[in-house]
Amino acid sequence: MSMKLLVIEDNEALLQNILSFFTKEGIRCETAKSLYEAEDKLLGYAYDCILLDIMLPDGNGLSIFQRIKELSPRPNVLIISAKDSLNDKLEGLDLGADDYLPKPFHLAELHARVKALYRRSKLGGQESLRFNEILIEYEKLTVTVHGKPIELTKKEFDLLVFFVTNKNRVLGKQVIAQHLWGDYTDDLANFDFVYQHIKNLRKKICAAGGKDYLCTVYGLGYKFDENAL
Amino acid sequence: MKLLNQLTLIYLALTLITLVIGGLFIFRKLESEINFELGMELKRQIDAFAVRLEQGASPEGLASDRLEIIELPADLPEEPLTLRDTLAYHDPMNQHEIQLKASKSYKIGHKHYRISYYNLVVETEDITETVVYTMLIVLFVQLLFIALFFRGLSNRMLSPFYHTLNQIQHFSFQQNEPLSLGKSTIKEFDELNGFLEKMSTKLLKDYRQIKEFSENISHEIQTPAAVVRGKLEHLMNLDISHDQAELIHAAYQNNERIHRIVKSLSLLAKLENEEFGTPTPINLTEILKRNLETLEELIHLSELTFETDLSEQVMVTMHPFIAEIMMHNLVSNAIKHNRRGGWIRVALSADRLEITNTGSPLRQQPQELMQRFKKESRHADSVGLGLSIVSQICKTYRFKFSYTFQHETHRSVIDFC
Repeated sequence: MSMKLLVIEDNEALLQNILSFFTKEGIRCETAKSLYEAEDKLLGYAYDCILLDIMLPDGNGLSIFQRIKELSPRPNVLIISAKDSLNDKLEGLDLGADDYLPKPFHLAELHARVKALYRRSKLGGQESLRFNEILIEYEKLTVTVHGKPIELTKKEFDLLVFFVTNKNRVLGKQVIAQHLWGDYTDDLANFDFVYQHIKNLRKKICAAGGKDYLCTVYGLGYKFDENAL
Repeated sequence: MKLLNQLTLIYLALTLITLVIGGLFIFRKLESEINFELGMELKRQIDAFAVRLEQGASPEGLASDRLEIIELPADLPEEPLTLRDTLAYHDPMNQHEIQLKASKSYKIGHKHYRISYYNLVVETEDITETVVYTMLIVLFVQLLFIALFFRGLSNRMLSPFYHTLNQIQHFSFQQNEPLSLGKSTIKEFDELNGFLEKMSTKLLKDYRQIKEFSENISHEIQTPAAVVRGKLEHLMNLDISHDQAELIHAAYQNNERIHRIVKSLSLLAKLENEEFGTPTPINLTEILKRNLETLEELIHLSELTFETDLSEQVMVTMHPFIAEIMMHNLVSNAIKHNRRGGWIRVALSADRLEITNTGSPLRQQPQELMQRFKKESRHADSVGLGLSIVSQICKTYRFKFSYTFQHETHRSVIDFC
């Protein structure tokens, strides 16, 4: 799938992080560092998804929604904001944002969310994701290995999608915990729940004859490795 | 007691004391003055009788019921005027009365007479009566004056003060308006008002600065933290050695920690500044159930036994977001600080939430754990703000929060009311 992304963000370092991550994933990225620049870009090109920071040097990012609404086809909007305020979140979602991710976020999480948005809106959730012998069908929430269906819990399904979306990348325990249990679970991430789920997932895939793609990377986390033995 | 009543009472007490002392003096003075005047009058009378005797009147012819003329031996020296009280028969009243008697001796020709003359004294009771009567009238006038002055006049004089008091009582940080107290005709009140106005402006300014600071700190720290996190995630995906991985891991963990601390602190600041909007009635049972659902898996994975006793509908007035945080902190604390094979009990009734769980003994006083950054150090990752957040939430909504440890059981109780 070829996706085009506009990142509206004024922090140069963060912008570079996002840019290099998505470029590596084969997603085309353009950037705007101010509202003015963003409006310019929106007038000239069509995007599938917009990442929008709220605090911009020349105003509040929410004000750009007016322009986004007029666009056809309308791009998905994901708000990324450090302004840790409930109001911004509610206002943003009210105005028509599709998702909200508070800073600091994990790039893998951002990636998963952008992909999910794209899947839901552009592909009507119809798409399936294939990774060698593993086939994930989003709509039916089923996974088959070598054509054989395997029983996964909701969490294990999420985990597998997260891993396949971010394949060949090291995912820290925190990233995975946050993806599975949401924002508040920060404090609980030190538990080895992540390990439990990964152990179960690995067992189920192997039992169905799949390769063991999941490997640990030193103490850092886990990786869904295409080239695993 | 109201200022005015206290002033009135003090004034009345002082007036009474003054009136009593004044009355005593007046009484003494009046008595001596009357006696003196009477003495003078008696002396004039005696002198007049002496003149009559000199003119040749016989003592017998002058005799009357208040006069006493006694002949003394001629060789005695003349007696000076003496005044003294005596009990003598008083004809009109037909009884003995205290009378003042004046005596003096005269040598008329070769005879020596002592002439004494007495008269009724004004009685002490009469003087007392007069004095008390007068003083009562004075007191009455004073009372009238107090009523008029204090109730009418001073109410008007003190009105700027009451206005100021009223304004201060209604001062609120949320309204964000400095006090405006206006001018009065009294210098002291103007000084007070001026000072209060300046102080309120300063307070609001400080408050705004702190508020902005707590908002900005979250932004200013989280953005670089996000950058660091991103860079570290990139680094993880490079070809690295085991040693490098350990370094990256340590840096990553600590960066996460900064993120958590900033998030919790900014939440605490918001709670303290009462920045969350008006509380609404919410069903706590619903929120608790939702929370328990998300945490159920963790409870299960931690091999904990789990019991609940929830009333169907527990309505509490608070912000829903805050209620969620409160529940989450309490329940996740109970999971985190538990032991394998332990248990958790959650009970919610109309006026109380009680969460009990097993766990290792506390190394410090339970009260201390409510302070910021106080924690049981078993979990290196925990920040130590969880209980202070709950405690601050309870303070904000005036709930009673207690946390105790007994017989290997941790017990958190919140009383709503």
